Amino acid sequence: MIGLAHYLVLSGILFSIGLFGVMKRKNLLMLFFSTEILLNAVNIGFVAVGRFYGDMSGQIFAFFIIAVAASEVAVGLGLIVLWYKRTGSIDLDSLQMMKG
Amino acid sequence: MYPDFLYIAPLVFVGFGGILLMLLSPFKQITIRMAAFIALFFMLCATGLYFYNISELYSYYPYAQTFGSMIVADNYSAYFSTILLAGAIFTILIGVHYFEKNRGFTTEFFSLFLFSLFGMMLLVHATELITVLIALEIASLSLYVMIGFQKHLDKRMEASFRYLVLGSISGAFFLLGTAFIYANTQTTKISQIGIFIQNNPQSDVMLLIMGVCFIFITFLFKIAAFPLQNWAIDVYDGAPYPVTAFMAGTFKAAIFGFILRFVLVDLELIIDFWDNILYVVILLTLLYGSFLAIIQQSLKRMLAASSIVHTGYLLIAFISIDITGKSAASSIIFYLVAYFLSSMGAFGLLSYISSDDKVRITYEDFRGFAHIRPYMAAMMSVFMLSLAGIPSTIGFIGKFYIFVAAIESGYTLLAVFGILATFVSIYYYFRLIAIMYFYPSAKMQDVPTLHGMAPYFIGIISLIIIWGGIGNTLITYFPGVDFLMDMARLAYDSLQVK
Repeated sequence: MIGLAHYLVLSGILFSIGLFGVMKRKNLLMLFFSTEILLNAVNIGFVAVGRFYGDMSGQIFAFFIIAVAASEVAVGLGLIVLWYKRTGSIDLDSLQMMKG
Repeated sequence: MYPDFLYIAPLVFVGFGGILLMLLSPFKQITIRMAAFIALFFMLCATGLYFYNISELYSYYPYAQTFGSMIVADNYSAYFSTILLAGAIFTILIGVHYFEKNRGFTTEFFSLFLFSLFGMMLLVHATELITVLIALEIASLSLYVMIGFQKHLDKRMEASFRYLVLGSISGAFFLLGTAFIYANTQTTKISQIGIFIQNNPQSDVMLLIMGVCFIFITFLFKIAAFPLQNWAIDVYDGAPYPVTAFMAGTFKAAIFGFILRFVLVDLELIIDFWDNILYVVILLTLLYGSFLAIIQQSLKRMLAASSIVHTGYLLIAFISIDITGKSAASSIIFYLVAYFLSSMGAFGLLSYISSDDKVRITYEDFRGFAHIRPYMAAMMSVFMLSLAGIPSTIGFIGKFYIFVAAIESGYTLLAVFGILATFVSIYYYFRLIAIMYFYPSAKMQDVPTLHGMAPYFIGIISLIIIWGGIGNTLITYFPGVDFLMDMARLAYDSLQVK
């Protein structure tokens, strides 16, 4: 029997994968994929909890989060396109870190 | 009772202004100056609406059915929104000149500006965690774009990119925390979470505490406290001056506005869990922030680094909340006003100078500045004095209240550390004053004439700062510091209205 705990564990695992991706990936596009995974991991959690309590608001939250994630990516992809046009690279290292 | 619409009218005004400016932006007849004035009009209308019942204690859920009690209008949200609006108005007034002089700004910028302000105002009105997230994202997303608006400059793009990536990760942490809280309490409304804590034993709220920890991580990130402060200097440095001013003064106030509500409403139990961690965070924030501020050569980076130190001071009062709730909370609110005025003045002055004069970036560039521009140097000195917390400025009073609150709650050591950090801060603030006044100018080139209205508004800010420091002793009945402090206490009381 698959219960709430399984879903929450799945959500946790996905979140860790996303976090790992954010830290390790050098490709800017992959970086955004990873943040998407982070947000969608949380979505699973919300929907599962909402279902568990029989409370619709959990599932409505998921919609809002999808909208937030989409707008974040819209801004991010715009920046990536601009950056690619300027430098011809979407590698994280091409952002030369500003020095203090 | 007033009609419901009046309570959310300021939000509607600002949001509508943003949409209107967006629709107007394709027209070539609309100049940047006109767009700025349209934005100002909407912000001034919104500010005016907050004064309709200023001295009366109220807490009201407008359109409780439609919004599901997710938005509240009380003295607290009115106070914070007024701070935010004042910050935005000053940013626009001082920044118009900068936006006109620099390439790459269009009328859409003001639309984004109003959206960002709308997000921040929604943030202090929100009483529900998903609403908070949406408000936070509206504010941050607009800020990301505003930072990278001059897309021909690599520096801007880079700053924007960094903030975007790190900001979205911190947003994900916030969501994870919310999910945990939701799983534990079956609600995301702040007041009901408080009721849940009171009705359940400590052992049942472990998941809730974990959730709150994640939300605190987001909070510490957004205000640039110690382990999560690295983005602040680069992003502040990479952003255009007016946007930096807006972020440093206003966005920080909005974040504190939310977290104070979150903690004060009834999460005092959970603060106990955080006391020790927060203690270390404060010490390291003060220490590392001071260190970063000392080593900077660029003024903008120095101000960015010193904003980390100011975060440390604010957190000192924040940790005192569970013992002396009222005085600590109102001292935070007051300090936010003081800091926003001083930093707005300093960044605004720098933006004006850099848009009109030759580019001055480092301390050395300001050598003998007082001989070329005596009034501007005087104003800059006022801002530096206020940031350092020298008596007779508003910054001193803000620090005074914070340290008093800390000592009253028994965090004497933290207060001592705060005062030591203030001593250190005198080094990097006064270095600028010394360089401006006591060194001959490298080259006394012809002085360009002043124009635009920015210098007058910067002058007004510096007068407000001095008035905040000495005003109330001179003329008792004119609103001054005591008025601000009373309002802050009233705002605190309105949170307790059930």
